[in-house]
Amino acid sequence: MSQVKKGLQSFFCAVGGFFKEFGQAVAKGDLFVKLSLIWMGAGYIRRKQFVKGILMTIFEAAVIWFTLGFAVEYVPKFVSLGTVQQEAVFNIATMQNEFNDYDHSFMILLFSLLSFVVWAIFAVVWLCNIVNCYRLQKRSEAGLHINTFSEDMKEYVNKKFYVTLLALPVTGVVVFTVIPLLVLILVAFTNYDQQHMPPSALFDWVGLDNFKSLFSSGGLTVTFGYAFGRILIWTLVWAVFATITTYIGGILLSMLINNKKTKLPRMWRTIFVITIAVPQFVSLLLVRNFFANNGIFNTFCSGIGLTGWLRDMGVISTSYIPFLSAPIWAHVMIILINIWIGVPYQMLIATGVLMNIPTEQLESARIDGATPRQTFFHITMPYMLFVTGPTLVTDFVKNINNFNVIYLLTEGVYTTTDQLMANSQAKETDLLITWLFNLTQNYYNYKMASTIGIVVFVICAVFTLVAFNRFLKGDREEAFR
Amino acid sequence: MKKLVALLMTMTMAVSLAACGSDTQGDTGSAAGTSQAAETTAAGESTATAPTEKQDVSLTMWGAEEDQALLQSMIDSFTQHYADYANFNIQLGVESESTAKDTILTDIESAADVYAFASDQLIDLVNAGALLSIDTMDEALQAYAGKSVADIESANASGSVEAATYNDTLYAFPMSADNGYFLYYDSTVLTEEDVASWDSLLAAADAAGKKVGMTLASGWYNASFFYGAGFTTGLNEDGSTAMDWNGTADASGVEVVQAMLDIAGHNAFLAVADGDISNQIASGALCAAVSGTWDATAAQNAFGEGYAATKLPTFTVGDQQIQQGSVAGFKLVGVNAYSQNAGWAALLAEWITNEENQALRFEQREIGPSNSNVAASEAVLSNVAIAALSEQSAYGVVQVVGGNYWDPTETFGEMIAQGSLNRDDTAAIQEALDTLVEGVSAPTQ
Repeated sequence: MSQVKKGLQSFFCAVGGFFKEFGQAVAKGDLFVKLSLIWMGAGYIRRKQFVKGILMTIFEAAVIWFTLGFAVEYVPKFVSLGTVQQEAVFNIATMQNEFNDYDHSFMILLFSLLSFVVWAIFAVVWLCNIVNCYRLQKRSEAGLHINTFSEDMKEYVNKKFYVTLLALPVTGVVVFTVIPLLVLILVAFTNYDQQHMPPSALFDWVGLDNFKSLFSSGGLTVTFGYAFGRILIWTLVWAVFATITTYIGGILLSMLINNKKTKLPRMWRTIFVITIAVPQFVSLLLVRNFFANNGIFNTFCSGIGLTGWLRDMGVISTSYIPFLSAPIWAHVMIILINIWIGVPYQMLIATGVLMNIPTEQLESARIDGATPRQTFFHITMPYMLFVTGPTLVTDFVKNINNFNVIYLLTEGVYTTTDQLMANSQAKETDLLITWLFNLTQNYYNYKMASTIGIVVFVICAVFTLVAFNRFLKGDREEAFR
Repeated sequence: MKKLVALLMTMTMAVSLAACGSDTQGDTGSAAGTSQAAETTAAGESTATAPTEKQDVSLTMWGAEEDQALLQSMIDSFTQHYADYANFNIQLGVESESTAKDTILTDIESAADVYAFASDQLIDLVNAGALLSIDTMDEALQAYAGKSVADIESANASGSVEAATYNDTLYAFPMSADNGYFLYYDSTVLTEEDVASWDSLLAAADAAGKKVGMTLASGWYNASFFYGAGFTTGLNEDGSTAMDWNGTADASGVEVVQAMLDIAGHNAFLAVADGDISNQIASGALCAAVSGTWDATAAQNAFGEGYAATKLPTFTVGDQQIQQGSVAGFKLVGVNAYSQNAGWAALLAEWITNEENQALRFEQREIGPSNSNVAASEAVLSNVAIAALSEQSAYGVVQVVGGNYWDPTETFGEMIAQGSLNRDDTAAIQEALDTLVEGVSAPTQ
């Protein structure tokens, strides 16, 4: 925790320092620095950095143009999310429908948010601009050299190369991750659902209502809270089992293949990698059909009398074995099938790591008379855990959101017999993510889907932070050197 | 590096997601251009006078993949017929009737002007404001097509008009009356008497060592027992489903469930997962199956010489026999409420659903017509599957339900299929029914 504290402290110190400098710049800056408060290029042009000055002026003009021409249409409606309902009148002369100037709640939400992001970027640039101009003023007062534009540009491939490198990824993250995430968060506080679908209807802010109905029974349907609890538990159980089984399976498999006594290791490795090469869409749908209620595997089982025997034992009540259609059966089957899908990946990773275990350690252990078991538990495993720890954490998070396996294996096959689950459009094998998908795709219940999305995000974020802080501390490296 | 990979992944995901949603692009390859329909032009010649300057009208239309060539020929005849009034540029796209709602509600404003959909989607589409009221197009239809909305309503089967009407407003043109189910059977195994009731049907199938397949885990199929017994469904103000269990029903809900449990628990009964019935018919293990016209070919292949179809059997409640009901489903053609050229879009929708084109549709695709005249033609009456469907349609109900109807009823059907309810435990059955009603009558969100 102290690390986090330290991080926060230095962050706020940096921010404080920046604003202190900004205050100084405004107070002590010359006329042109002060003029930069209104005309962003002024300070640069005074110091003969004309290109920069023009660029800044263009940037400022662009933002003003964006604000007046675009943002002003949406942002004022952000509080109400629109008030004008769509109406149309048919004109027989033109054979066309004539629409009024109606509000589209979702567009208002999206474009207001976009405007906020643009303004936030503008504010940062504006603040930096003043500080930069003041720095230039100080340099020129001290008689120091002031960079020309081409010298500035050269810095970006030399001293400030990291800025150039990071520009594209950061833009990508903002456009593809941050903005959608913010939209998702905002939607969770609205009543955007089938009854309030833009463009024909408007939606509105509802505060914390959606969270209330997710965490308590009552509210929207009688059972949302119940379904949420059941699904959350299965999601976590699934993530733990799916991660651990494939991890251990992968290590064991790669040790088996790497063993000196194993013949043709490359062939075995290739065979297992083939499961990766076949798209999951194909392999999982085939497996789903194998294990369907009337599928091949069930025909086989009833042929050899297994189905009848299980029924006599009272394990099943149906005329088939419900591999993918009854709660516990399906849960176990999904985890088993996932082992088959996931082990080859882990095997590849483990093979790479195992080949890099320092041989001195293994050798000295052997000379000291350690059994293979001891070597495995005291040298191989700790080393593996140390190296693959980060991937283990990401695997866990990935499994929480493992849409493919669950959806492809259960969609159309699994029907819940728990009426309370059905009443909230969920089933026992759903992960939070597949439930969310079903709610948006089939029920247009965007507000609840967003709420669940936030919960998933919080779970993943908290887990990742804790996991990286707890057992992936950098100081353990010495133990292996 | 990792960040870059992550970024690329996000982008590929975005692209592939976009690709998933875009299987609706215009289909240019299937311009068969048979334009037969043009010769058999509608009787009502247009009364509107040709404007001096022709408008440019561009429209998009979505239809099922199998119908593309047929639809293109209808578009050709449409452009020809109205060539005096406007220059048309009509794009045809692929969108299955069964998934039309999902695609359209994703972005109504960019959806097609004219689209076909299954009648059970009508309420959701109307509530989302995706359908133009046909009533407001009365004037345009009279001016150009020479028929009023009332003419269209009287030309089609009353059930199909009922299914296209919501809140006393007509929202779509009926296109076909084939979206219902009935009983296919193998007449070499079962006699006509056998298929009259579930009891004799199952007994005969058991004797022959074959099975009878039906989907129970679907609110579309399992409602047939309840509708048969006289229960009704309707829609509440808030979008939830109202179920009337008492009204004019011949039996109590518990008794109907008991009858269903008797059928589902029979040795010769096979509960089939939703959408799997075609495979089961093809597997050859069945001697009879409850399905619709879309399985006609599969049944024909499986039963060969013995291929036959009829209305659904009766089922036993106490000492009385109750005729099993069914859901009468239709395919409709609607006009997007956000269509720019709403008038011409409505005329196009009218065109592809008029008498001549319904006859053409049956001729080429064997799709059962909703138009009464076409339905009464000899060719339609001699089609085994469509004849059985129209026989069953006497017991068909237009299913009016809200969005929350489907999951709870699916689960209820699955409970019956798995036998997780005990026939003699009436209290448990009643409780399950109560939970079911609670689920379907929860307000739509």
